[in-house]
Amino acid sequence: MRITIDNLTKKFGDVVGVEDLTLHIEDGEFVAFLGPSGCGKTTTLLTLAGIYKPTDGVIRFGDRVVNTVQPKDRNIGMVFQSYALYPHMTVFQNIAYPLKLKKVSKADQHDRVRQVANVMGIGNLLDRRPGQLSGGQQQRVALGRALVKEPDILLFDEPLSNLDARLRLTMRGEIKHLQKNLAITSIYVTHDQVEAMTMADRIAVMSGGHLQAFDSPDELYNRPKTQFVAGFVGNPPMNFVNVEVSQANGSYVAQAEALQLTLGAERGEPAARSDGEVVLGMRPEDIQISDAGDVAGEIFIVEPLGREDLIDVRVGPHSFIVLAGAETQYQAGDPVKLSFDMGQSQFFDPATERSLLWRQ
Amino acid sequence: MTGPEELFDSAKIKPDEAPRAFHQDLIDALRLGVISIVLLLIAAFFFSRIVHPLFALGSVEETAMDVLTRLILLALPFVAYIAAASVARRYTGADTVRALALALTCTVILFALISTGHYALDYGVFAPQPSLQMTLSQTDAGIRVDAIAPGGAAETAEIQVGDVITAIRRDPMDLQSFNRRVGQAAEGDPLRLRFIRGAEEMQETVRVVLVSDKQLGVLIPGLALGLIFTVIIVFLPGHWAPYIALVGLLSPLIVGYAWVIIATFSFRTEGLIPLDGNDNIGGFTLKNWESIFAGNISGLEFNIWPILMTTLAIAVVMTVVVLLVSSMAGYALSRMNFPGRRFFLSFTLILHGFPAITLLIPIFIVLLRLGNLPIIGDLIGFNTIGGIALVMVAFQLPLGVWLMKGFFDNIPWDMERSALIDGASRFRTYWEILLPQIRPGLLALGIFAFIGGWNAYIIPATYSIGSGVSNMPVFLNELIDETAPVDWNQVAAVGLFQLIPIFIFFIFAQEYLLNIYAGGTKGSS
Repeated sequence: MRITIDNLTKKFGDVVGVEDLTLHIEDGEFVAFLGPSGCGKTTTLLTLAGIYKPTDGVIRFGDRVVNTVQPKDRNIGMVFQSYALYPHMTVFQNIAYPLKLKKVSKADQHDRVRQVANVMGIGNLLDRRPGQLSGGQQQRVALGRALVKEPDILLFDEPLSNLDARLRLTMRGEIKHLQKNLAITSIYVTHDQVEAMTMADRIAVMSGGHLQAFDSPDELYNRPKTQFVAGFVGNPPMNFVNVEVSQANGSYVAQAEALQLTLGAERGEPAARSDGEVVLGMRPEDIQISDAGDVAGEIFIVEPLGREDLIDVRVGPHSFIVLAGAETQYQAGDPVKLSFDMGQSQFFDPATERSLLWRQ
Repeated sequence: MTGPEELFDSAKIKPDEAPRAFHQDLIDALRLGVISIVLLLIAAFFFSRIVHPLFALGSVEETAMDVLTRLILLALPFVAYIAAASVARRYTGADTVRALALALTCTVILFALISTGHYALDYGVFAPQPSLQMTLSQTDAGIRVDAIAPGGAAETAEIQVGDVITAIRRDPMDLQSFNRRVGQAAEGDPLRLRFIRGAEEMQETVRVVLVSDKQLGVLIPGLALGLIFTVIIVFLPGHWAPYIALVGLLSPLIVGYAWVIIATFSFRTEGLIPLDGNDNIGGFTLKNWESIFAGNISGLEFNIWPILMTTLAIAVVMTVVVLLVSSMAGYALSRMNFPGRRFFLSFTLILHGFPAITLLIPIFIVLLRLGNLPIIGDLIGFNTIGGIALVMVAFQLPLGVWLMKGFFDNIPWDMERSALIDGASRFRTYWEILLPQIRPGLLALGIFAFIGGWNAYIIPATYSIGSGVSNMPVFLNELIDETAPVDWNQVAAVGLFQLIPIFIFFIFAQEYLLNIYAGGTKGSS
């Protein structure tokens, strides 16, 4: 089912939930809504579900305008962060509830619930009540309940947030696999950019009720169109520093206090076009600590992550987060040299926060 | 080892510990005992001499303080024994003889101490007793006066040795009942004695005086009680202590219920003791209960079943309507936003605080007018079960709405959204998904409403004047009003009969109330 959102606005009194959101989601696509808390992603999801009525704009499922259609008539399945299982019903009754409301015959209900439960790996738990299940099992039940009525659209509202890290990893793969197999158009709300990056075909990055970007994970990562997207996508986050870019002797130089970086024409030219300061963005993995480096700094903090160390290096007044192999034995206070891979650098207009390299 | 036991036996002596001198433990125990006596005396002094005068203007507090002071003084020796015995308890496992010796020695010493205090202050068993100041003995003819104290009450009233007392006023007396009557009299009460002197029947009025004779013999039962008590304390398993305290605190309630139950099966009772017509123990009878079903109590004719049905109808209608309306209103107030919501909420709270009695007359007039309407008047007008239930529902609703709103507030939004998305209508969500979540709340409110409706008196009594519509409490009051003399044992039977449905209701409801709910949601909304 194709979903078309045109100029959607949702206000609660004077509080703006989402403003002027336009989004076209293809049939069978897996889209993630990514953004910090309060950015309007859940509001958008609940508007799609029909719990909220849009203040303005049009939502279409296929060719049908659904603005005023009741949730029960939209044929959607939804999985909540809190699972929202019905505690007074058994697992079987929970999963069968949407079918019961559709007036599916008892025998059919039985077959379809069994089938879904087996797919979800909870076939042996049908007689239990939600309170007797673990978090992971409860989430599978919730997923089963959303799937059993064969919905046109699946909505996920941070479904993995309450699971422990290990289980989250497993469920992430399972949900992605399931979605690909069933080819149901899915929208997945999360504030965890790793989840969004790993699972979604396209990610809608939202902030303050506005759509910041809507692109594939690779595009968002490699060609961020706004500074917000660049900073939000990627972990650890991108380093930003204000620089002045100027042309000298056929090459371009980005300059700031205690910092002088040479870069190629491909990136240097658009960056230099603007007058005055621009924002340079560098991902931590694109900065190396090496003796061949041309920027001198001092280590401020070392945070071991196991596989690698997260190192905060101070260069003059600036601070850069750098990734280094765990085998290195840096200490706070050590003087180091940094080498910047300027081929991966990003430049943003400090006023509009738009990328100088990638136009929308 | 359980918690309370640890608390009670915090310093249990290990068998391998070095023995302490007996007198050292004795001093420890006595010190504890004396400290507790002093503390309780201070408390008694505080209540009787400091708090009491402060509240002397309000008569209720006056007696309350009085009772409190007396209770403290009554408990005083026992608290001291417990304090002393707590030292002895350390030895119960290792050296029982020592524990017992220690505790009993302490008890004797503390008892002597307290008794000396009583003796000096004319308190407790040495308090002055009402007396006629003559020595009596029981003979076949009556109570014979054996000796008369010189200058005493009896001599003043010119009673002579050899007189045989037969009665006080018109009540025939034996020695036992005579002593009881004197013991219950206050100082200065006149007692008119009938007695036979020679062959002549005479009457004299004797005035009761208070005499403290201070005979040490009266101390023996007290000491025995103290010793038995101490032995029990020493050997009492520690984890029993909370239960014993609980039973002790509940005993007034237990005694009260026991009294009512015994009374319904007896001819008459003296305290908890059932008596027959001749004041002998016994006199068990079913006639109190029979009279309920026979429909005749002290000449008042009635049929209990319609009364019971009316009571049931009021209670059931009230429960159903209150539950339905409260839960719906609570749902709307919790989940929906509409103009006037805040006003409605605060307004219902004010209504809840409004005393129902002040509205009796206005509502009376409203019901009277409603009764004039065709059809509706027969359902909810004056003198109808519907009318009574309607008024009581109205008074119960503010509480119910608030209670239900609170319960709905606690249900996460997600569950409701989930049901809506699963395909349920709003009403179906409320009915099938949300109501089961607040079952404990519904049950609590239902019990409130049912018991309130079952025991309602003031509203049924006011709005069913002079009609056949009468419920149990109103009927109970009629029994007391319209029958003379009132047979209290039959009244008790009717009261107990009224309680039976409540008992049954509770037996079923309790299981649900104790059923702890396992939730199926996690995290925030």
